[in-house]
Amino acid sequence: MTNQVNITTSQTIGPFSHEAWQWAVDATASVETTAPTVTVRGIIYDGDGAPINDAQLEAWNPHAAAAEAQQAIPGFRRIPSGEAGEFQFRLSRPADAPADAPAAFVTIFARGLVKHQFTAVFLDDAPVSPLLAQVPEARRDTLLARRQPDGSYRWDIRMQGDAETVFFDYT
Amino acid sequence: MKFDPVPSGVYPELVHPEYKSTIKRGPLQPLLRLDAALPVRDNIATPALVLPGEIDLTRPEGCAGEAIGERIVVTGRVTDEDGKPVRNSLVEVWQCNAAGRYRHKKDQHNAPLDPNFNGWGKMLTDDEGRYRFVTVRPGPYPWGNHHKAFRPAHIHFSLFGNVYAQRLVTQMYFPNDPLFDYDPIFNSVPDAAARQRLVSRFSIEETMHEHLLGYEFDIVLRGRDATPMGL
Repeated sequence: MTNQVNITTSQTIGPFSHEAWQWAVDATASVETTAPTVTVRGIIYDGDGAPINDAQLEAWNPHAAAAEAQQAIPGFRRIPSGEAGEFQFRLSRPADAPADAPAAFVTIFARGLVKHQFTAVFLDDAPVSPLLAQVPEARRDTLLARRQPDGSYRWDIRMQGDAETVFFDYT
Repeated sequence: MKFDPVPSGVYPELVHPEYKSTIKRGPLQPLLRLDAALPVRDNIATPALVLPGEIDLTRPEGCAGEAIGERIVVTGRVTDEDGKPVRNSLVEVWQCNAAGRYRHKKDQHNAPLDPNFNGWGKMLTDDEGRYRFVTVRPGPYPWGNHHKAFRPAHIHFSLFGNVYAQRLVTQMYFPNDPLFDYDPIFNSVPDAAARQRLVSRFSIEETMHEHLLGYEFDIVLRGRDATPMGL
């Protein structure tokens, strides 16, 4: 089928989104949840391996909506990357959510990124999900957050390079 | 929900060397086409999150006066590819002031800040998918991309839609801007018709006598047959 109406195309977020987007950062910074949580942290890198310090990251976890029902934006997180490209999400893991669901769907915005990129992060000690199974095995590592000795998970995002993160096209 | 493929050239080129920052940031691998149910996120924001001062950017909360510049109203409809209205959906906007400067610590452009202009707002679409806000027309501003690089005047838009995959960040431009031909961000979109869909149109209907000028900017998000479907 052909589109009846033509979509509006994308443009970069630019470097100056932070004040406009801060309300959602504030609303999701310390979410109260009735579910156990995991923390996923990492660094976002460009093609030279340099940290991207002006990215905006959003994480969406639909299974967390009930556990976070009292919050302003249940299941949603938005954070800007820090000066060293660092980011950190604290995510709900409700007991009744499928064990193989992504820890979060992640959307990436930045200066120099003319269209936002969709990806997802999975915990490395969770069962392989039907979503992850569609990713070529050689590239699945790029979507796996690795459990650390302190119980948190480490997941880096690479926009380019040998370990370029897998980005999705929803069709 | 299934999405029709986006025609070639409608999305910008992720690596567009004329826009230098894309060279090391645009993904090089083809996108992975997924066969997956998509998460719905109706009503990510409630009306309580939207404050009165956020739909009139010329009179921000906590400021005593009115923003300086050419007052404008910007309005339009948010629909999906089938022309169905996208209702109760959050729209965020941000922009520089009339002199071409953002209220942002990293904006070092030597132009004045306006104490009565913050440059951001947010709103929800109504039952017809319409949004509306009052602001001042943003100025062009220089950036370090190339010799004599000035951005065309623009307002940034962030839309959530009703389904995760409808998420869109874009920019609205003004008609007949002489800077279009020189702007690598605008021209990162190969398809000329898609570029023109980023240009608002002047509206005499929305123009208010002795008060402000009206612009209309309609936005079309992806998506058809929007049957709610979780994962």
